[in-house]
This record gives sequence, structure tokens and C-alpha cells, in this order.
Amino acid sequence: MLGLLALPFGILSPFAIVAGTRSLRRIRASGGTTIGAFSAFVGLAGGVMGAFFLVAGVIFWVATS
Amino acid sequence: MSGRIIGRAVAVLVLLILALFTYPGADVASLAVWLTPPAIGGSPRASAGGLAWLHIEHPAGRTAYIADPQGRLVLLHGAIPGGMIDFWSGAGSSNLTPKPFYPIDPSAYEGRCPDNSSLIRVPPLCRSDIAQMAAFGFNSLRLPISWSLLEPARGQFSQTYLARIAQVVDWARAEGLYVIFDMHQDAYSRYVGRASPPPIPGGDTTDLQYDNGAPDWATITDGFPSEVFGGQRELNPAVLEADSNFWYNRAGVQDEYIATVAVLARKFMNDSTVAGYSIFNEPWPGWNLPPGWEDLLLFPFYRRVIDAVTGVHDGLPCPTHIYMPAPCGYPDLGVRDRNQLFFLDLGLPREITDLPTHLDLAVSSYPNLVAGLHAYTHGYTPDSIFLHQDPDKASYPWGGYEQTYASAERESRAINAALMVTEFGNDPKWDPLILANELIEQEQHRVGFAFWTWKENCGGAHSWGMFEGIECSKSKQLQAQPPSGCLRPGRERLLARVYPSASADPNLTFHYDPSTGAFELRASGQFGDVPTVVVIPVEVTGSVTVSGAVAGEPAISQQPHGVRIVTVYPSGGAFSISVAAASLAPLGCDTSAPS
Repeated sequence: MLGLLALPFGILSPFAIVAGTRSLRRIRASGGTTIGAFSAFVGLAGGVMGAFFLVAGVIFWVATS
Repeated sequence: MSGRIIGRAVAVLVLLILALFTYPGADVASLAVWLTPPAIGGSPRASAGGLAWLHIEHPAGRTAYIADPQGRLVLLHGAIPGGMIDFWSGAGSSNLTPKPFYPIDPSAYEGRCPDNSSLIRVPPLCRSDIAQMAAFGFNSLRLPISWSLLEPARGQFSQTYLARIAQVVDWARAEGLYVIFDMHQDAYSRYVGRASPPPIPGGDTTDLQYDNGAPDWATITDGFPSEVFGGQRELNPAVLEADSNFWYNRAGVQDEYIATVAVLARKFMNDSTVAGYSIFNEPWPGWNLPPGWEDLLLFPFYRRVIDAVTGVHDGLPCPTHIYMPAPCGYPDLGVRDRNQLFFLDLGLPREITDLPTHLDLAVSSYPNLVAGLHAYTHGYTPDSIFLHQDPDKASYPWGGYEQTYASAERESRAINAALMVTEFGNDPKWDPLILANELIEQEQHRVGFAFWTWKENCGGAHSWGMFEGIECSKSKQLQAQPPSGCLRPGRERLLARVYPSASADPNLTFHYDPSTGAFELRASGQFGDVPTVVVIPVEVTGSVTVSGAVAGEPAISQQPHGVRIVTVYPSGGAFSISVAAASLAPLGCDTSAPS
């Protein structure tokens, strides 16, 4: 959910990346007892995309203004 | 297993659609706009009344500027009269939907002017107002008009109101003034209602006197109560909901708004008196938050209006009459108006911060765009509205008056637009500080202005007009008053100023000293350049001298209202134009006008 929210609200993307990464690590370390790897991946992907386009937008602003 | 795959596919699809609808999509759409060659303007049409068409020049590596057909920098100076706004009016609070106070039929203004009244916050706008503006040396006016009067019933546009607007444009043309149409709104609409007593604790009863904009049928409040918090008319649940519904195009209200701007443009697209359109005055995010509101809702909305009216095709083709995501454009509505300017208001949150509140993603390849800055430093900035500090002791903005101008200049470059102060104003008692400094900033940044407001009733210290308006307290109503109140001497001294209305040198510098009436301009030019033109209002009496590389003596012509126009041709090199310090000749309180 945090990852999806990071798309309209790029400021949330660092939190989405941290949460998604931690969740994936826990799931891998659990040896199959914890599920939800795909949800965690989607959240992480959303966070990365949100962060990338936020940074790209800021660079774009600085370059064009 | 197949269910799991389908689930994952759906999740990826949701992610991609959400990405397309939000910042990733907006960023890509903006990049596409930057890579699109500017839409070519239409073939210059003959201007009916002699005013030159305006466009935006885009010098490489510099801020764009408003220009005339010869490419000269044009500075627009003017005021904002509120007489055409559909304000709520009345003596009591019981009637929530009073009829428009002043007549809409233009015949009511032919050779006469309706009586001013203490029942409404502004005097009527009449022929004499335009003449008075010209006498101050103004070369433009920003004309606020109301969607609620343009489209009082859904899909039905008022030809009477359009004729009334045309009447004001005719007056302006006769005086040589440009008109910037301002699709005005404050707190969304006067039809948001008034919950009395306020049902939510902490709220106050709404004072509808300054609420205006959308018609009743386009005001969707979903039953939210109309009460204000913190004394701010926009902090009203009904206003927040109605604004949000507009940005999400609930029931197609945004489509209707776009159609309204198109109707306006279709009527005035061949008239060079109409410099352009302020698409939406002081937009407010509703329940949305910056920066997403501006980048994903407001500026894409501007793109759609421009697409519809000019026929440029920025943004993706999308279905209309439903929520339109950020990358969406809008169908060409067949107007093909490519000779007028579009003024993009930077948003109400930015008026509070005096800093950009979003990424300023470019939204349109249409070249004639102007970023409309509303400069209300110490008026609506946090030092004033939250900390209640006096301007001379304010702890914000940290960068002083310069902060909002310097940042707005960067914003305008980011969206490939020129910059103009389309609104500024203040409590008159702070004129020597706020107004004087704002005007200095405008000179330094070479931007024009539209002053809020021309005339305003009932305020005393709270009315911000150049004219103080009539008194509305019952004890003072009985005293003899000029129909529109007296001209404020301090405002006349500061706003009726010497300025260059056009120059071939976009890097010129100039300064007017309102305490002495002295003026100095420095510019340079090539032999054969078109002339620099300086406007000297009737209040300024000093003699004109020119030095440096100029061809011959300056031509000084006297206009009907006593305004002097100085025309200087460069001969190749640096030159200066000066007006000597001399006693000012203020008009004073003119009780005879308007009539």
C-alpha cells in the first residue's frame, strides 16, 4: 500500500522502499513460513518508481528553471 | 496456481495504471511537451481597434516575456475591478441565492451607471472607470468574470453577460487598454451554502460576501456543512468538497468549465484588445495536498483548457466527462484561438508559502503562456495569517519580498512561460512598506502588474481598493459620499507611476521614485530598432530628458487624459530616459465620477 501511495506522493517512496526491502528479507529468512513476497515486491517497485520519478522531476525542474 | 498468476498480473496492471495516472505519467507527459516543437501561432488577424496582438518571446537561456509584434518587451500595468463578479449580496443572511446585484444587461450602462450600494462589496463597473484607469497611465485591466453568470444553467451560456463583457472590452479598446479575462473564483462559489448554527465545533458561520465562481448546478458539496475555520473562507468543508469534485471532474463539471472558456474565446478570439485568459483564479486544492494536487490535477487541467481552445494536442487522448488523469489532454473544441495568451495561476497554496509548492512540470507546447503570480507577501504568508505579525516585524518570508519573485521566475522558466503579477494588494495602512516594496521588485524583475483591487465598498481599513469605496456602517451611510468613495492618495502616488510600456531591449533597467516623481531608464539598442515607449501619468509633472545613443529628439505626445507618451528611437548603443523630480499633481477625491 505504501508503494502504491508513493506514486502520487513521492515523499513516501523512501518509506516504501525500506518497508518493501525489510519485508522481502523477512520472508526469505522465514524459509517459507511467511508469505506475501509478491505484495512486498509490488510495494518495493512502487517505492522505487515513486523515488525515481520524484528525483527525475526535481532534476528536470532544476535543469529547466 | 493459475489464480496466483492472475492475481499477480492484476497487481502489476494496477501498479502500471497507477504509475500512468500519477507522477511517472505526469513526468513522461511533461517531457513529451518539452520535446514537442512549439505550436505555431495562427496567422495574425487584423486587430479591430488598433491594439497590437501580444505574444510571448522565448529568448534562449532567459525568462520569456510578453511582447508586441515587433518583439518588444511589453509591460502591462493595470488594476482589477470587481464590478462584474457575481458576489453574494444583501442585507440579511437569510437569502442564500440572491440574484446578481448589478444589472447584467449592457443597456443599463449606456451613458449611465447604476447606483453603488452598501449591500455589495464592490461598485458597478462603468465607462468612467475605464477612463479613470487610462488617466493613471494604465495600459491594461484584469477583468474578473464569473462562471455562474456565463453558464447559469448547464449547457446554456448567457448571451446577455457575454454582451456585457463585450461592452467593457469596447470601452477598453477606446481607451487603448488591454483586457485580461479572469475566470474568477474565491472559495469556489457563492452557492456553497451557509450552515447556521455551524454543526462542527470550532467553526464559524460562513460569510458569503466574498465567495464567488461556480454556478449552483456545478457546486457539489455532498452535504458537507458550510462553515469556516480559522476565519479563512477556503477552510470550509463544503468548499473543500466542491473544489475536490471539480478537480476530479465529478458529473463532468470540468468539461462544462472548459466549454465555458471555449465559448468566451470563440467570441473574443479576433479581438486584439483581449490579451488573454486567466484560466482559473486562485485555485484551491480542496481535500488534496501539494505537490500532487498541482502536478497531477491543476496543471493538467490547464493543459486541457489550452488543448480545447487552441487545438494543440498535448497529452494523451482520454475519455472526457469522467476523471481525467494527469497525462490526459483534451479534444480540440474547434475554436483554434492561437493569438491570445493563457495565464496560469500558480495556486493559492503558493500564495501562502511564497515558494513553489510543486515541480512545475511543463504542461503545454502552446507558446503563449504566462505564469500568473499572486504576490501577497505579509498578506497571506504564515507570518500574517498564522502568527499575526505586523509586516515590519515579520519573521517570514526569510528571503524578503524578493523570495516570491525570484522563485516565480524559476517556475515560469520551468513551464516555459513569461511571468506577470496578476494580483497583488494589501491593507492600505501598510502601503509605504508592502506596496512600495512590491513595486520595486516588479521593476527589478521587469514584470507587469494587476492591482487588487480597483474599488471596494464597506471596508474602511479592510477594503483594499485604490478607491476606498463607500462606507457601509449605518451611521455613515447618511453622510454625503462620492459614488465610489475617494481615491486613496497613497495609492495614487505609488500606482500612477512612470514605466516603459514597450522596449526593444528586454534587459533594460528602470526605476520610478514615487516620493519625488523622478524616473530613470537605461537601455541599449541597435540603429533601426523599434522605439522604447515610456508612459508618464498625469500626476507626474517633471520634464523629460534623453541622453546617449538616440536618434533625434524624443517624441512626446499628450493623451486625452493628460498622460504623456515618450517615444525614443535608439541609434546604436546605450541610452537613458529620465523624468526630473518635480512636485506631483494628484487628482484627489474626485466626487464627480463615475456618472
